[in-house]
Formats: sequence, C-alpha cells, structure tokens
Amino acid sequence: MSEETGGVAIEARGASRYYTMGDTSVHAVEDVSFTIARGEFAALLGPSGSGKSTLLNLLAGLDRLSAGSIVVAGRDLGTMDSEALARYRRHTVGMVFQSFNLVPTMTLADNIELPLRFAETPRAERHDRVLELLTNVGLAHRASHKPTELSGGEQQRGAIARALANRPSVLLADEPTGNLDSRNGQEVMSLLRDLNEKVGVTVLMVTHDPSLASRYARQSLHMADGRLVSTVETVR
Amino acid sequence: MNRQDLFELAARNMRNARLRNALTTMGIAVGVASLVAMLSLGIGLQSFANHQLMKSGMFQTVFVTSRQDVRNMDENADAKPDESPVLNDDARAKIAALPGVEEVAPEVRATAEVQYGDKTNFTMLAGLPQSAHDEDAVEKVKGRFFSAPNANEVLLQRDFAKKLEKDADSVLGKTLTLRYAQRQSSDSNDSFSIERQEKQFVIVGVLDEEPFGGMRMISRARVFLPTQTAESMNLMQPADTQQLVRSTPGARTYSMLTVRMKSAAYAEKVEESVKKMNYSAYSYLDATKSMRRFFAVLDMFLGIFGSLALAVASLAIVNTLVMAVLERRREIGIMKALGASDIDVKKLFFAEAATMGLIGGALGVALGWIIGRAINFGTNLYLHKMKMPAENLWTVPLWLVAGAIVFAVLVSVLAGIYPAARAAKLDPVQALRYE
Repeated sequence: MSEETGGVAIEARGASRYYTMGDTSVHAVEDVSFTIARGEFAALLGPSGSGKSTLLNLLAGLDRLSAGSIVVAGRDLGTMDSEALARYRRHTVGMVFQSFNLVPTMTLADNIELPLRFAETPRAERHDRVLELLTNVGLAHRASHKPTELSGGEQQRGAIARALANRPSVLLADEPTGNLDSRNGQEVMSLLRDLNEKVGVTVLMVTHDPSLASRYARQSLHMADGRLVSTVETVR
Repeated sequence: MNRQDLFELAARNMRNARLRNALTTMGIAVGVASLVAMLSLGIGLQSFANHQLMKSGMFQTVFVTSRQDVRNMDENADAKPDESPVLNDDARAKIAALPGVEEVAPEVRATAEVQYGDKTNFTMLAGLPQSAHDEDAVEKVKGRFFSAPNANEVLLQRDFAKKLEKDADSVLGKTLTLRYAQRQSSDSNDSFSIERQEKQFVIVGVLDEEPFGGMRMISRARVFLPTQTAESMNLMQPADTQQLVRSTPGARTYSMLTVRMKSAAYAEKVEESVKKMNYSAYSYLDATKSMRRFFAVLDMFLGIFGSLALAVASLAIVNTLVMAVLERRREIGIMKALGASDIDVKKLFFAEAATMGLIGGALGVALGWIIGRAINFGTNLYLHKMKMPAENLWTVPLWLVAGAIVFAVLVSVLAGIYPAARAAKLDPVQALRYE
C-alpha cells in the first residue's frame, strides 16, 4: 500500500465522462470534484441513471475519463496506458459488484486465487493467502464450493475476499447489498465496516439507500444527472 | 500471468466446454493425419525409388575415363595430350586422395579359359570391387561374397554355372582353373610381352542376377573375381594395346576407374575435382536430377492436399474460440476488473488454441501412422496376390512427427489470433453490465 498523498485516498477534479450515441452526446458524469480521505468510509448516492456506476468504473480504472482528473492513492489515472491501468486494478483497488460476479465454473477458492495469479504471487504463498482471506470472511469451510452452491450473502462475502486478495488500499463496492435480503445485507455491511476499521482499507460504496449511507458512511456524495449535487458529512 | 497459470486456466476453460473442444481437437487431428498420411506416402515412395537405385551404389559412384579413351564420348576426345592426361596409377592415387572417396577400382575385364573338371569353356572375366558387396550391387548370391578383397575366389553367373553342373548350386566349394593372358612388363616402357598363366580358384557363390555396378563395367561377364586379385594377376587389358601403339607410351594406364564415395553427398564435388584434373567424369546424379525434381514436386502437391484438411480444421478453431469469447464475455470482464491485462486475456486464448493444436497434432500423427500402416498393409496384400515381394511404401520419419505437431500448434495459434484479439479488446464495462 503506497499512499504518497498522505491523507488523501481519492481525489477527483472536474471528472467527466461523455458518450456519443449516434449524433447526441450523453454526459454520464459531468465535472465531478470530491476528495475522500485515507481510511474513510464513503457512500455515493443517487437515483438510477444518475452516473454513480459510471463514476465508480472511472475510479476503478475500467473506464476512461473524457475530461478532468482522478488521482487514487497517488496514481493519476488519466496518464496511464491500458497495461498500467490493469496493474492499478490488480494492486490498488478492489471491486465488489451488486451481482457478485464470481466465475461460476470455479470454486470459491479458485475465484479468490484468480487475482493472485494475475499478480504472479508465488504458488507457495497463494494457498495460505486464500485460506487467510476465506477465514477473514468466515467462509473457510466453503472453499471448494462452486458459487451456485453458496447463498447470496456467502457469495458476496467471497467476492469481498477476492477483491482484497492483493491487499488494495481502496475498495469500490457497487450496490453490494442490492441483491441480498436484509439479514445477509447487514452481514455484508458489517463485514465492510470491520474491514474499514480494522484493516484500514478506504471504502467507497455506491447505494441508492440513504439510510444505509447515513448508518455506515462518514461522507455521502449525492449525484443527480451526472453531477455531484451535495456532500453530507456525518459526524460520529 | 505466468505460463503455468496460463495453461492451468486454459485447461480448465477447455474442460468446461468439453464436447466442443474435443470435436475441434478431433478436427485438427484429422487434418494432421491427412497431412502426415500424404507426406509419408510421398517420402515413402521417394525412399522406395531411391533405395532401388541406391542399392547399386549408383549415386555414390563416379566413372572416370581419360579423354583419350577411344570409347570416350566427350567433345574433347581429340584434345592435345597435355590437356588430356592418361589415366595411370598416378591419377588413381590422386583421385583416391580426394575427400569422401572410399575406393577407386579399375575396370578389369579379360577373356579366359575356364577349366572345371574335364570341361573347358572360353568366357569373360571381370573384377568385382569389394564395395559392390557393401552397396548391395550384388543381389541374391547363392553361397557368399568374397571372403577378402584379395581372395582367390570366384562368383559364377548362374547360366554359366549350369554349363558346368546340371545343378548349378553344386559348384559351390569346388575348384576351377583359369587360363589367362598375363602382361609381362619389360625394362623399357615401349614394349611388353604376353604370357599364358594358370591359377586355381574356389567357387564361393552363384549369382542369380548380373551385378549392377554401373553402365559399362562389371556386368556381362560370366566369372567374377575380386578386383584386387584380378589386378595382381596383371591380366592383359584392351587398354594395353592402345598404350602400345601410342607415340607417348608410359606406365600402365586404365581405360576406366570407378570411384566410390562414402556417400552420395560427395559425388558432385568429386566429379568436379576430377573434371578439373582434365579427365572425363560421369555420375548417375546427373541423370537423376529430373527424377529428384519430380519427387520434390510430388511431395509439394501431397503436402498441399494434406494441408487442406488442416486449413478446414483451423477454421473450426476460429469458430470454437469466437464462441468461447461470446460465451465468456462476463468472465473476461471479471478477469479484467480483477487486474488481468489485455495481454493476459490474449495469451489465455492463445494458450487454449495451442493446447488444442498440441493434442490434435499428437492424435493426428498417431492417426496418420495408423492410416499409413493400413494402406501399406493393403498394398502388400495386393502385391502378395500378384506374387510380388512386399515393399515398404510408407515412411514416417521422426522429423515429420515433430514437424507435424509443431505445424499443428502453429496453425492453431494463428487461428487464435482473431478470437484472442477480440477477447482482449472486450470493454469490461460493457461485459460486466448487469444482465
């Protein structure tokens, strides 16, 4: 974990993403600026189509900026080529999705090993690391199960373990409880909070549930029509 | 991603679409099999033809004559003496010293009277060099070949042996006496005398076929003795009279020397060197150039036909992998989100293509071998019916096995270029969009 910028984990300045659809230009994200401190738990709120997911993809290095800049853990994403962005996704950020996105043909352990393979972690270390990650999310007994044999909550906890495999400093979660019932949703949320508090990983969570944001996040960014409309800080 | 991980993931992906990948791999196997079958038939036919010619030592042989030789067909037949030196012991030693030369044997032929028991026959003698045995120039010897290059032993032609005994084979081990003209050198080189001599020989073999050692020599004689023995007998030679009437007489000359190389590879060089020494040289290599060209063209055509099936198989690989890219869109997106680079994704598809190529290639070589065996078996069954000896028309050299597998992998990887590029270019945002 390299945090050259000291207290800042994520800094966006005038971040914009335009798509051209036929003749019209769609402004999915427009002139968004914000700062998230290192070790913070932040939420990104807004209705469907407000640009939250696009912004998250930009932060994840999966999509590219049309204008502005985003710096994550001291890395300026706008200046990176695709190979550098792949390395950034591998080591600096972890992604958690609403639909879990575990590879269905792989066991849970194989899924968690996948980012370690991309990072060329030595084989000998991998087994221990996978077991450690599974233990941290309480799924050590499910290692050899396929995703279809797991409950939604288990799948999401597995996905979180996978996102943390290469010890990223930032965890980006796109509606992580969106496909879960309230009990499983709570389990996942408390896992995210534990990770944030105990491991110190910075969490940015996209959600459309304001109560979830106010309960867990210190900072809530509200988006509408691609723009950041308000920033609410919750004092604990 | 390192290579081991790459191939582990590739193998896992292939197991997940077992039937499709197995069918594609079988397609490659059939393609490789047809290529191997065609090429090994070509190689087999060529080596069959070569063997028929090689066993006479033809390609390893260069025939050297003097340009003064009356039988010489060279345009320079009436060249000046200094430009057309005589073929003497000096020349023989020089030729023998050329790289790659194994044996230089003169042509020794003479007429002689053969005394066998109380029968006498007037016939032709010829020297047979030791190399004739090594190169299978002498086929189907009843009995054996000469025990030593200077043995007092003879081989008889079967027809001639029949003149001596009703049962030709019963001459084996018996003795005969040769009565021949011997050249006696005098002190001066201007003349020599001729004397009648007798010598006893043991008959060690009977030849069913005439030995084939080249166009003009050896054959057409009835009694064969080791060349070295024949030389030591100083048999009167036709060339001797030529030498006698020449205005520039000298030591003994040869009408022709047969030069045998260690392998056919030397023939061209030796022929060239001999020509530089101002002698005439001829080899069968000259005559068979067109034949060798024919086989090169035949091999090429067989290769092209064989490759057609492999070309079709490569389309199957493209199809299978494009399907896999479509099917695994989401998985590719996940891999990219987890930090796989475009190159990692590309390599993964190449690894899958290469794996199919490798397995298909290996199966194909095995299948091609079986097909070849079957064709060979069928051919020999037919030959047997026609009461002809069995022949091996089928050769699968090791280089073909290795080459076919490498070729299959190469073709498969080439076929993987498009699907791999497509997978690598896949936009992860699109691929991961919630469906």
